Amino acid sequence: MLGIMARKFIEAAAATDLGNIRQYNEDSIAVDPELGVVAVADGMGGHRAGEVASAMAAQIVLAGLRQRLADLRSGADQHSPLLAVEESINQANLAIWGAARVDAGRIGMGTTLALALFHDNRIVIGHIGDSRVYRLRGGKLQLMTRDDSLLRDQVDAGIISVAEAGESHNRNLVTQALGVAEQVAAHVRQVDAMPGDIVLLCSDGLNDMVEDADIELILQELRANLPLAAQLLVQTAKDNGGYDNITAIVARVRKPFPAARGWQRRLLGWQH
Amino acid sequence: MAKLVLSSGGSVVFQCFIDQERLGVGRDPTNQIVIDDPSVSREHAAIMAVGNDHILEDLASANGTFVNGTRMPRRILQHGDVVEFGAFNLRYLNAKTATDVELDRTMLIEGIAEAQAGLPADGEALPVPRTRATRINFPNGRVHMVSGPRAGTTIALDRVVAAFGKPGHRSAVLVRRPHGYFLAHVEGRRAPRVNGQPAGKEARRVNDGDVIEVADEKFQFAVD
Repeated sequence: MLGIMARKFIEAAAATDLGNIRQYNEDSIAVDPELGVVAVADGMGGHRAGEVASAMAAQIVLAGLRQRLADLRSGADQHSPLLAVEESINQANLAIWGAARVDAGRIGMGTTLALALFHDNRIVIGHIGDSRVYRLRGGKLQLMTRDDSLLRDQVDAGIISVAEAGESHNRNLVTQALGVAEQVAAHVRQVDAMPGDIVLLCSDGLNDMVEDADIELILQELRANLPLAAQLLVQTAKDNGGYDNITAIVARVRKPFPAARGWQRRLLGWQH
Repeated sequence: MAKLVLSSGGSVVFQCFIDQERLGVGRDPTNQIVIDDPSVSREHAAIMAVGNDHILEDLASANGTFVNGTRMPRRILQHGDVVEFGAFNLRYLNAKTATDVELDRTMLIEGIAEAQAGLPADGEALPVPRTRATRINFPNGRVHMVSGPRAGTTIALDRVVAAFGKPGHRSAVLVRRPHGYFLAHVEGRRAPRVNGQPAGKEARRVNDGDVIEVADEKFQFAVD
């Protein structure tokens, strides 16, 4: 019954594409608007192991959150949604790491992950690697994640400027990924959500090809048609070169989504 | 692997692969690249390897460091760059980055610990590399507004999308692509019209002179 309450508080659409050059699409997605979960994973590793790693990440994180959110929303578990995200990410990490260890062809496989959980008028953002989460609010695009990349580190350490980053060849070097070590330090935070907010999750094939100003314009002008927005983002990345796989998931907050408190839960339970 | 070629008067005097984290350039013999020229400082510049990049930094030299004729305190070296040291030219060659297509697969590398300390959860987005996108030519189009609130104006179609109609009710966008402009229906039950005919649900290409109607806006499309 909470499913009914929660239904359609967000609307989501996704698009993914091989790009113009790569042979395989190593990006994977998870989209469950009723649960309030969207995620993108960008795999790495030879012999198509990247596809395996990203698909595992998307599936395991979604399954983990389904379980943990059911407990959380029924009141059986007092875990925080942040912990639910962190545990689900760690679960995916261990599974990928384990799979890589038992199969020689998959040694070194790993994946990025960017995830948004919409819960109780907030968005929990979980992230590792260089896939990104952006939020469009009031027509302004804001990056909500800090890339785990050498380039980001170089800029933050003052070694190079933001402007110089455009001249760097270090774009493909990530400093963290899921599945490459027994433990990872995923970044998990929460931000507030307001009706009208649009959240974009993307693999680097989008933001390496499309200027933020153009991403902002597409989201703003196409906010009434999310499937078209996702499709246009991917198409623009391809039109600009499409050197990598491209994935975009857009989710829009349609109305407030407070979690049912104890008395509401009891009332709803009694009604059914 | 990247390579440095030092030449003077058109003849190569020294060359080496960059296989160290740091290379010193200057008049002092302790440098890895020694340049015997009175206008070069004893410790003139350094080249640091960071990931796939080689970063040239001027070490507060008396006469400065010039890359391709421009004085620069710092430069992420690009394939074919020429760094001037007095009468000498130091050329940077890196076949791996010679093409403007970067096909390198994602790889894991050690981060920079001090950059991650006290790390902000978000940040300014990094710019798209300059070598990308600029090679692709986009057409130059515009629309002349015939009726509606913007009647009489000309709107340049110089961005990826331009919106028309009544946002929230009935709207459409013109999408700029390398091979032309396309009209896409965004919202509202009635599709936009092109030359009096319904445009349909699918994005469709528009041609020079087409007259388009979206809600109460009517405009004529033109392209160079």
